[in-house]
Amino acid sequence: MTSTTTKDLNVAVIVKLEPDFSEGNVSYNADGTLNRAETKSILGPHSAIASNAAFYAKVKYGARVAVGTMGPPIAESALQQAQLLCDADELHLYSDRLFAGADTLATAEVLKAGVSKVEGDGKVDIVFSGHRASDGETGQTGPQTAWKLGYTFLGHVIDYNVDLQSRFVRAKRLISLQGFYDILEEVEAPLPVFISIDPSYKAFFNTVSQRLAFEKYQKEARSRAENYKQFLKVLNTQQLGIDPKLVGLPGSPTIVYKVERIPKAKASRKSEVIDGANRDQLTRVAANMYEVLGGMVIK
Amino acid sequence: MEHYDVAIIGGGSAGLAALKQLSNLNKQAILIEAGKKAGSKNISGGILYSKKPKHGKTFNVEDVYPEFLQDTPVERRITQYMLHATSRDKVFTMNLTAAHEYQANFGYSVLLNKLNGWFAKQASESAERQGGGIVSGVHVRSLNWQNEKTVIETDEIEPFEAKAVIAADGVNSELAEMTGARAKFTPEQLYQGVKVIVKLPEEIIEQRFGIGPDEGAAHLFAGDVTLNHIGGGFLYTNLDTLSVGAVYHYDSLMERPSEPYTLVNALIKNPLVAEFIKDQVAVKEEIDKNLPKEEQLRTRFAVSKLIKTWNELRDSYHSRAARKKLIESGKYKSEEEIRARLDYVQNELATKYYTKFVTDYVELEYGAKLVPDGKRCAMKKPYYKNILFVGDAAGRGIFIGPRIEGLNVGIDDGVRAANAVARAIDRNNFSTQFMGESYSQSIEESPYTRDMKEIDKDYLKIFLDAAKDVPKDIIGQRYGMVFRLMSSGTLRGLAVGFANILGYDKLLPLVESEDTYVQVPIELAEKTGRQVQATYEPTIPTIAQRIAQLKYDDDRVSHIKVLNPKSEFMKKMVTLCPTLCYSMEGGDVTLQHEACIECGSCAKETEWRHPRGEKGVIYQYG
Ligand SMILES: Cc1cc2nc3c(=O)[nH]c(=O)nc-3n(C[C@H](O)[C@H](O)[C@H](O)COP(=O)(O)OP(=O)(O)OC[C@H]3O[C@@H](n4cnc5c(N)ncnc54)[C@H](O)[C@@H]3O)c2cc1C
Ligand code: SF4
Repeated sequence: MTSTTTKDLNVAVIVKLEPDFSEGNVSYNADGTLNRAETKSILGPHSAIASNAAFYAKVKYGARVAVGTMGPPIAESALQQAQLLCDADELHLYSDRLFAGADTLATAEVLKAGVSKVEGDGKVDIVFSGHRASDGETGQTGPQTAWKLGYTFLGHVIDYNVDLQSRFVRAKRLISLQGFYDILEEVEAPLPVFISIDPSYKAFFNTVSQRLAFEKYQKEARSRAENYKQFLKVLNTQQLGIDPKLVGLPGSPTIVYKVERIPKAKASRKSEVIDGANRDQLTRVAANMYEVLGGMVIK
Repeated sequence: MEHYDVAIIGGGSAGLAALKQLSNLNKQAILIEAGKKAGSKNISGGILYSKKPKHGKTFNVEDVYPEFLQDTPVERRITQYMLHATSRDKVFTMNLTAAHEYQANFGYSVLLNKLNGWFAKQASESAERQGGGIVSGVHVRSLNWQNEKTVIETDEIEPFEAKAVIAADGVNSELAEMTGARAKFTPEQLYQGVKVIVKLPEEIIEQRFGIGPDEGAAHLFAGDVTLNHIGGGFLYTNLDTLSVGAVYHYDSLMERPSEPYTLVNALIKNPLVAEFIKDQVAVKEEIDKNLPKEEQLRTRFAVSKLIKTWNELRDSYHSRAARKKLIESGKYKSEEEIRARLDYVQNELATKYYTKFVTDYVELEYGAKLVPDGKRCAMKKPYYKNILFVGDAAGRGIFIGPRIEGLNVGIDDGVRAANAVARAIDRNNFSTQFMGESYSQSIEESPYTRDMKEIDKDYLKIFLDAAKDVPKDIIGQRYGMVFRLMSSGTLRGLAVGFANILGYDKLLPLVESEDTYVQVPIELAEKTGRQVQATYEPTIPTIAQRIAQLKYDDDRVSHIKVLNPKSEFMKKMVTLCPTLCYSMEGGDVTLQHEACIECGSCAKETEWRHPRGEKGVIYQYG
């Protein structure tokens, strides 16, 4: 049974504070753009899933977990929420006025530098990130950070296991290929790797010891998150040791011209209200279904 | 395969006590509980007793959990214990506080979600220090033996091994069934308990029942509220709720089936009970359908929100601790200010939205469970191979007079089983001769086992004393004679001694009869009872409304399989299932399992399993 956090496996999670798009929390300006001031911010849903994946490494392998985010001081709350999910041992906030206006490439530069600052000489075996952010990100930060770190990139991962002896990771990826969706690909890669977690990922703990460890670390996570500042390091450009030319607006080659609102597609379906007590109407529905399903109905 | 010294199956009060005791003895143990959290599957009446036996020793709650008396994860210390004989609007009352206090250090009203939740917290913290703990949301499916060790298979996680197993899986023990350690309980050995939780603000409870902040009342009912079944009703005060329920001999219900909820309803309709549970309730006025849609919607939200505020504020206003908290938080400056705000909200509701404030009562939760009658079904040798059975799983419930004791018995069993297992670990001997027998012997020495076998003449005297003022002639010739005879100490000693030699169980059909539970109380109430009038008519929720209020984690697959859809027993289940899961379809009994609250009433003639991990009903109060 794993009882203490071992140094056998070091993982890091990259998270993001995002607007809460759930009903009742989100607010839009008159022109349809997001009203950031009025909208509550939370740990992004994809970041939460990445945190869950890191927690799996903690429960199953006793991994040490670090969480990092780039953003203004309020992004601290994303770190706190992530810590609650993954019982992080270390929290990083990469915060500097110079980072403003960063595109994915410039962000990747900061995150790469951040990973190298993780305690223990930045020897991180697995970096987890969400599939993408929900507030207008393109899903490129992950691969770009992996590339800058020189880590093998594994995208759309829905399950993974680590062989601590041979230091290999075996992962299941959900991919689509030539019009086929949901193909499961199993890959093996030597550590270190960069894993972007698929939204459908769900951690499952299937032994007694894992369930016990789960309870224990969850309890620890609750008490740690209450005192998250004790675990927090705030790092600026200089502390991260990055060339200012590579970050923020100067380091961002992307030009966003305008984001178009996608017009709502016109529905071609017709709907009709059926009275469940009316036998004739029900018979008609059954007949239609039979027709549509082409005799596939068994009974 | 993972290996553990001890696996405890079931996280009710009995299993949790076993875990805590094993950890206290520095032994590693894990506890597997099917519910999402310990406490979410358990239901009681209930009063948790701490026993002070005349002979021998019991392991009480405060012995196992030293923090119990400081943390008091309980509701109220019961200081008043009244028995009411009812007949329509007549009630004859006897004070039985002496029976409640008999051989007891204390008795607290409890709600099992909170109580077992607290037990679990204490037990898991101790267990973790020994490398064990609680695994919840896991349902044990089967057991096998490989080289003396038990392999435990579950629906959720990989199999694991244990040297010793403690079966604390309740009255519908699957472990007992799958091992054949005991036969399924029959209706004669069981009671069916049904109860509802009623909401009532803290200080209103205190005023109404004439009790102080640290006090509680218990009221028992017999007579016409039983609808001629053998058993009775109860009402216990919790901190800011009441537990109102009915416990009946299951064979009595089998004989003349009544829907279980009608028995609770009969109790609620009794004028004394109706007056006990009444409260002020806000009733929404129909929204004017002629208003524009948006306006209707806006009004509906506004009213719901205001009523919620009114309820919360009112609960706080009538609670010492909550009032203090509101003032300390700076939200209000004084009690008067809270009162003023409450009046304002009420006025707003009444004048702006035409909300009516009426006298009625509010139910929060409906639940049911079978209770084993230890006198008739306690396992003689509560073990099988390396499995020790505790609590309800071993059939060890006590019914003496109106007192029900299962929680405290389960705790005592749990400790005894833990002690036997700890010794077995020390000697590395898990054989039936060593571990099973030493547990069985310890159980035999438990004062509770004696309570299941013998009538205690001193306890009996309390009842006779309480009935002293009853004119003997009105209880009919037969009973008058018995009363007169038993009132003499010598004769009573003789009679009880004789009865005990004859065998308690042989005497039971006489003691536990329709006469004692129904006819005598009715006669008493009719002839000497005072008249009680209800000032309102309680609006009793329908069973569908009660089910709708419960929380479930639905499972697609049914955990119960009907074996013979034409059997007489199954036909009776159409009436006796507390949530009406059974119905007749063309001569066959069919089951819709979704509303099942896992009471076990249908277990005897079905393939009965607890739902898979986390699935099924989730009690908020218990
Ligand atoms: C209406 C009513 C009134 C009562 N009044 C009183 C009273 O006033 N005083 C009193 O002392 N007692 C009272 N009792 C009795 C008392 O509630 C019970 O005796 C007691 O709760 C039983 O505890 P237990 O731990 O043995 O079983 P339970 O509380 O039934 O616990 C069994 C646990 O095992 C779990 N489980 C079952 N099978 C499995 C499996 N295969 N795998 C994993 N987990 C499993 C269940 O989820 C459950 O949590 C009353 C009971 C009822 C119904
Ligand atoms: S289906 Fe059976 S176990 Fe479920 S509530 Fe009905 S009688 Fe009880």
